[in-house]
Amino acid sequence: MIYRYALLTRASHWVWVLAFAVLVSSGLQIFNASPNLDASDKSNPARRVLAIAAPAEGVGTTTIFGRTFVTTGWLGWTDDGMGSRGAHAFPAWITIPGYQDLADGRRWHLFFAWVGSVCWLAWLLSAALKGSLGQMLLRPSDLPKLWPMQAYYLGLRKTPPAHGVYNPLQKLAYVVVLFVIAPLVVLTGLALSPGIDAIANPLTVMLGGRQFARLWHFAGMLLLLGFFAVHIFQVATQGVVNQMRAMITGWYRLSGRDGAGP
Amino acid sequence: MKRRIFLASATSAAALAGCGPIGSALNGNVAVQRLLATAEDLNHAVIGTRGMAREYRDRDVDRMFRINGFATPSDSHYAHLMADRFAAYRLVVDGAVARPRTFDLAELRSLPQQTQITRHDCVEGWSAIGKWSGVRLGDVLDAVQPRSGARYAVFHCMDNDGSGNLYYESLDLHQARHPQTLLATRLNDAPLDPEHGAPVRLRVPTQLGYKSAKWVARIEVVASFTNIYSGHGGYWEDQGYEWYAGI
Repeated sequence: MIYRYALLTRASHWVWVLAFAVLVSSGLQIFNASPNLDASDKSNPARRVLAIAAPAEGVGTTTIFGRTFVTTGWLGWTDDGMGSRGAHAFPAWITIPGYQDLADGRRWHLFFAWVGSVCWLAWLLSAALKGSLGQMLLRPSDLPKLWPMQAYYLGLRKTPPAHGVYNPLQKLAYVVVLFVIAPLVVLTGLALSPGIDAIANPLTVMLGGRQFARLWHFAGMLLLLGFFAVHIFQVATQGVVNQMRAMITGWYRLSGRDGAGP
Repeated sequence: MKRRIFLASATSAAALAGCGPIGSALNGNVAVQRLLATAEDLNHAVIGTRGMAREYRDRDVDRMFRINGFATPSDSHYAHLMADRFAAYRLVVDGAVARPRTFDLAELRSLPQQTQITRHDCVEGWSAIGKWSGVRLGDVLDAVQPRSGARYAVFHCMDNDGSGNLYYESLDLHQARHPQTLLATRLNDAPLDPEHGAPVRLRVPTQLGYKSAKWVARIEVVASFTNIYSGHGGYWEDQGYEWYAGI
């Protein structure tokens, strides 16, 4: 057994689980108030990348890059949270609150945006001060081990390549999620604010404008959901009990599955 | 192995699907709402009202500026004003001021005029760009001299929600005196039309669109808005939207 996760890492992990769930579902509530994404500064139907609509009673459609799919029941015409279906982009069962309410969706979103961000800063500072950040940073020496590690996961190799506390694929995933995607999701969210835009207009311009920032913000959310899906798959296949114990108590058992964590 | 994957996926899916019902249940809790509302004060303190909203070029303007919000007033008072091309319109500025007074359109036009091409960001998520002209709200406030202790300007409007509840909004005097906070009388090189808030509307490019009240009839300077309507400083604020709309 090794003591793998410090208390602050474990606490941050579970705070992020909560914050991420609330931010995704309240974010979809906010999205529902204007279920379009444009690759532009101001709204511009000519540059519409995604449109979720209910073109007729009982019909939901999703248009991506000009191609329209019928998505009745899933997107466009969905559960309205009040016992029936209606013109509702994302269904009520995945939004906070579970009915159309932009004002409350915003309150949940703007509060948990602070929770997630402050937690990220606290974790980063603590990990940097304790020197434990180094063990999860991807180094040039890890690069040649990426494929052998993937081969091990795919069952093409019997043993994983030698590595430290985290294997090279874990390091890659953590670095990309914690230091690239998460900060981008925060910055693209900030760029949507007219108050921030007045202070830091270059940020909005860099992202292609306000509506473009809304598109990036949504895309970042999808990437994080993708990471989440892979992460859950890894936990499920690499020893659920060991992984969960490690993330709750800190203690991780090194065994035949040595280090092949989520 | 397959069972584990299935169990993990099912648990995650159930957790996500539970967000709606759990969120709805917690949403009604007063303590939860109070906790969530702390973010508004934090955002107000951190972001506040500083800097200048970006100004665009003429060719960026939406010639058909999107119409949103309540229906154009249809009462006989507004019809009378409109028929007369707003010659009888008087903007009342009163409350905690040393020199309460009214302004007709000619008087507003005699004050220094500003034109801005700025983006209007709606809380719903869409944006549009308009060319607005009018008088700085700060100049109007200077003319009436707010008393010491005055903190907010409350805007009473002529439109209602269809059930007779009149629209209103408020800004603190710092936001009201921001150099881009306008009482606009023109949109896209023409006098403001009835659908966009004629004859006078507020334009606050540093905050979300619901702050930019249309059809303004009276500006009341106050020390506190807790006794006005439901006490949250605006029609939408009374419905749960944040008073600080910079984010």
